[in-house]
Amino acid sequence: MTPQSNRVVELRIPSELGYEKIAREAVATVAHRLNFTKEKVEDIKTAISEACTNAIRYGSGSDARMKVVVILTADEDKLDILIKDPGASGAPPIDIDIPDIDGMVEGKRRLGGMGLYIIRELVDEAGFVEASDEDEGNQFRMVIYRVEDNKKESSPEAKASGSENGGLA
Amino acid sequence: MSEEIQVSVRGEENVTVIDLVGDVTTFAEEAINQAYQSASADGAKNIVFNFRENDYINSAGIAILIGVVTEARKRDQKLLMTGLSAHFQKIFRMVGLTQYADLYPTVTDALASVNGETAA
Repeated sequence: MTPQSNRVVELRIPSELGYEKIAREAVATVAHRLNFTKEKVEDIKTAISEACTNAIRYGSGSDARMKVVVILTADEDKLDILIKDPGASGAPPIDIDIPDIDGMVEGKRRLGGMGLYIIRELVDEAGFVEASDEDEGNQFRMVIYRVEDNKKESSPEAKASGSENGGLA
Repeated sequence: MSEEIQVSVRGEENVTVIDLVGDVTTFAEEAINQAYQSASADGAKNIVFNFRENDYINSAGIAILIGVVTEARKRDQKLLMTGLSAHFQKIFRMVGLTQYADLYPTVTDALASVNGETAA
């Protein structure tokens, strides 16, 4: 696969914790082929793991009869990742706060709630997007550019969709 | 699907080392907490969590470690973490865990710090 090509990889994984590792390995292979740096590949692996874990745990209630769909689209300048879940827990969160680790350590906050924050810090664009008419449930999109400077030049369309739908970027 | 974590506890000079081999995810909660409780029951004051560099750690695993931090503060224990890849060192800093646990490349470095030695 050359950076000039546009290839789509689609995975359907059972909604069961642990299966996010399939998506993790698949995206690592795609990202390596796109010549992302080793550190960026690690960032992408962690981001997709967290997004799939959320889709499994919250988007489909860890019900293994349900599926989480992961679509990896690699093109010339970026890797676009879309994660679809059945939306079992209703609307996804809109606001993502910095984790209050002091509150967790002091017992004032529940442990957890760090996944979306970590994703936001690791990728160039991230946010829930509106599902098409044929799709039901939640769709979470992440974009990682091959060149760091492109982060500042992300498309208006992507930014608009993120901000209108609780985007994190 | 998740690799079962192997957790073991060993004593070093003034330090108890908890070795973690495998995925640090929600499935690791019982094993990590049991190891920590075992170390504490033996009077550990300095505890090193020694990770294997290429293992998978997610935010649920980090939440387990924050739970350990909470307990350690109540017991006035010092926590140290070793063996983390540069990527997971970054993640631990990102979520603020390094406010509560110092990171060292190796167990040897952590031991040297606790015992006031200069690492070789």
